[in-house]
Amino acid sequence: MKIVVAPWLRPALTMATVCLLAAPVLARADADLDKALANPNNWAMQAGDMQNHRYSPLKQINKSNVGKMQVAWMFSTGVLRGHEGAPLVIGDTMYIVSPFPNKVFALDVDTQKIKWRYEPKQDAAVIPQMCCDTVNRGLAFGGNKIFLQQADSTLVALDANTGKVVWSVKNGDPKLGAVNTNAPHVFKDKVITGISGGEWGVRGYITAYDMNTGKQVWRAYSTGPDQEMLMDPEKTMTWTDGAMKPVGADSSIKSWEGDQWKIGGGTTWGWYSYDKNLNLLYYGSGNPSTWNPAQRKGDNKWSMTIFARDLDTGMAKWVFQMTPWDQWDYDGVNEMILADINVKGKPTKALVHFDRNGFGYTLDRVTGALLVAQKYDPAVNWATNVDMKTGRPVVVKKYAPGENGTDFNNKGICPAALGSKDEQPASFDPQTKRFYVPTNHVCMDYEPFQIEYTAGQPYVGATLSMFPAPGGNTMGNFIAWDAGTGKIVQSKPEKFSVWSGALTTAGGIACYGTLEGYLKCVDSNDINKELFKFKTPSGVIGNVFTYQHKGKQYIGVYSGIGGWAGIGMAAGLEKPQEGLGAVGGYHELADYTNLGGSLTVFALPQT
Amino acid sequence: MRYRIASAVALALSLAVHAVAAAEGAPAQPGAKPPAANASPPKSDANAVTRMEAGKVLYTVVDGYKVDPNTMNGFRAWRAAACDRCHGANQEGLVGPSLIDSLKTLTKEQFVKTVHDGRLEKGMPSWQGSKMVMGHLDGLYAYLKGRSNGDITRAHVEEIEQ
Repeated sequence: MKIVVAPWLRPALTMATVCLLAAPVLARADADLDKALANPNNWAMQAGDMQNHRYSPLKQINKSNVGKMQVAWMFSTGVLRGHEGAPLVIGDTMYIVSPFPNKVFALDVDTQKIKWRYEPKQDAAVIPQMCCDTVNRGLAFGGNKIFLQQADSTLVALDANTGKVVWSVKNGDPKLGAVNTNAPHVFKDKVITGISGGEWGVRGYITAYDMNTGKQVWRAYSTGPDQEMLMDPEKTMTWTDGAMKPVGADSSIKSWEGDQWKIGGGTTWGWYSYDKNLNLLYYGSGNPSTWNPAQRKGDNKWSMTIFARDLDTGMAKWVFQMTPWDQWDYDGVNEMILADINVKGKPTKALVHFDRNGFGYTLDRVTGALLVAQKYDPAVNWATNVDMKTGRPVVVKKYAPGENGTDFNNKGICPAALGSKDEQPASFDPQTKRFYVPTNHVCMDYEPFQIEYTAGQPYVGATLSMFPAPGGNTMGNFIAWDAGTGKIVQSKPEKFSVWSGALTTAGGIACYGTLEGYLKCVDSNDINKELFKFKTPSGVIGNVFTYQHKGKQYIGVYSGIGGWAGIGMAAGLEKPQEGLGAVGGYHELADYTNLGGSLTVFALPQT
Repeated sequence: MRYRIASAVALALSLAVHAVAAAEGAPAQPGAKPPAANASPPKSDANAVTRMEAGKVLYTVVDGYKVDPNTMNGFRAWRAAACDRCHGANQEGLVGPSLIDSLKTLTKEQFVKTVHDGRLEKGMPSWQGSKMVMGHLDGLYAYLKGRSNGDITRAHVEEIEQ
C-alpha cells in the first residue's frame, strides 16, 4: 500500500493511521471535508453530513424564538427554472450553483460579495434531454475543491479559493440522453456521481472518481453482466425467503427479456450516503425502461434497488429490490438515511428509505436484511403490503398496468409516478428519533403504449394524468415517521406536494418549503404547531439548510418553482377541467407563485 | 374553408350522413336539411368535422375523438416522442408552451421549422433524427390543429372505424 502524504492530508495523518490499523482501508478520508463537517457552523455537504440526516446541532434559533426570524439577506441566481438542492457553507464562503446553465458563485458570507464565479459552456441541446426540468441539486466540497456536476454530464473540480478548473471529466453521453441533475458526493478521497436518462433508455451506472485527479476509480452498472455491475454471485447478498442469500450468477440478465437490459434504465440520480465504519456507500437505482411494462417482462434486476457497495472497490455487498417489474415509474433513487435507532425494540444500525412506491423501508444496513416496510401515505393502493418473507410488494391487479395490457388506461393508481415522495429528502432528528418526511399525496391514470427505441430520443411508452388523492383537495403532507415500527406519528396536510428537503435542528424545530413559496418551521415534537411561515418570491423545491457565522445562526432555502411538480407553472394553461395532466392537480399553483430563482437567508433580529 | 357535417341521431335507420355547409364559426344545426354530400363522409351517429387547408383535407374528426388515419399517426408520433412531458398531456403547456395557443398563430411552415430545427435554448429539441416524428409531420400538424381548433375535444384520439 503506497501512501503519498499531500499537504492537505497532514492534519489527518494520525487519524488515517488509526484507520489503517483497524481495517484494510485502501483510501483515506479527506481531511478538509472531515474538518469542515466536524464544525457545526458549516453546511459542508448537501445533507449536512454523510448519513443523509439533514440535522444540525445548532440551536440559537429554536422553538421558542423561531417565530421572530427575519430575512437577513437575499441573492438572485438570475435563472428562472427549478431550484433544487441547497448551497454549501464552509468557513466564510457560501457556494451556490444554479440550474442550467449551472452558474457557480462563491459568496463572502459577511458581505455577500461575489468572490468568484464560474459558468461552464454547455451545448443548449442538453436542455431538452433533461426529462423533468433543468435542475441541479448542488455542489460538493473536498480537498479544497468544489465539485460541479454539469447538466451535460461533465464533472468539474474547481479550486475552492479561486474557482479555477483543476480537472474535468466526461461522465456520460448527453446525445444519448445521459445527463446529470444529481449533486456529486465526496466520501473519503472519491467523488461519487450518478447518471440520469431513464426516460431515454440509458443503462444506469454510478461512478467513483479520484478526488484529486479526476481519474475514474470504478464504475458499476445497475443492470447487465455481473462483472459490469461489480457484483459477486457468491458474496453479494439479497433478501431471499426471509434470509440473506447470495444473488447467484447472472442475476440481472436472467430477469430481463433478451437484451432489453442494455436500454433498461436503472439510473442513479438521487442522494448518496456513506457509513465510515462499514466503508459502505448506499444509493438507489431508478425505473426500468420503457414505462410500458409489457415490453420488458421479468423482475428487471437491479432497477428499483438499494445498493450497498464497498466505497474503495465498488463491489456490491448487498442489494434489495423494492419494486420488481415496475409498472408505475416508482424509481428507487430516494435517499438512504443511515440512523442508529431501535427497530421493534432492538438497537439497530438501520437504513431508512422512503420509496417512490409509497412504502417506508427499514433495513439492517450492515447485512441488508429487511426489517420494516409500511405505507407512509394511507392513499397507497397499488399494493396491499410488502410480503416480509420475500420482500416483494403484494400487487393489486386492478392497479397493475402490466397485467392489464398495452393501450389500456389504468385509472386511480396511488401514488402517481412521482411517488409518495420523490427526490425531496427527509430529515432524521436524533433527539426525537423521528424522520420528517416531505410527501406527495397524488394519484394517476396510467396508459402504457408500444414504443420503439431510437438512440437519443425519448423512450417513455406511457401517458399519464395526475390528480389529488381521493377524499380531499390536498396534494401533500409533511409527516413525522417512526421507522422502528413503520408508523406515521403525525401528518400535517399541505395544499400542494411538499417538494422541499426538510431540516431538523437541536433547537427542536423542523423546517421545509412549500410549492406556494412558504418557508415553514414547525415544532419537532408536534409538527402541527406551525411556529414560522414566510412567503419567499417563488415556489420552494430546494432543501432547507443552516449555518452559523460570527456567533449568529442562519437558516436558508432556495426558491424557484420548477422540477417535476412545478412544471405546470408555465403560462398558457387551459381551463382546470381540461387540464388532466400534472397541471390537473397543480394548475392552481399559478394563483400563488411565479418563476424566479433566489436564495433567502433568515436570522433572528439584532438584540 | 370549413365544413361541418352533422346528422340526426337515428340508431335504427342507419342514415347516410348529410353534410351541412356552415358559415365559418357558426354552429351547425343538427338535423337541418343538407345539400348532397360531395365526398363520402364518415359514417357516424353524431357530429363529424372535416377541415380543409391549402385546398386539401387537413383532418376529419367524428364525435370529437375519432380521427382519420393520417391524424391518428400524428397522435402516435406525439405520444412516442413524449411531447406531453413538456407540452402537457392535453397540449395545455407545462414547461413548454401551450400548443392549443401556439397552433392558433403558427403557420404550417413555422411549425415544420420548429419541429425540424428545435428551439434548443428554450428546451425544444430538434426532431430531424426521429423517423417517427419526421415521417408523420403532416399528421402531427393535423392532430395539433384539431386540438387547437377545438374540433378534437380530447387529447387521446382513436382511429375512425372503417
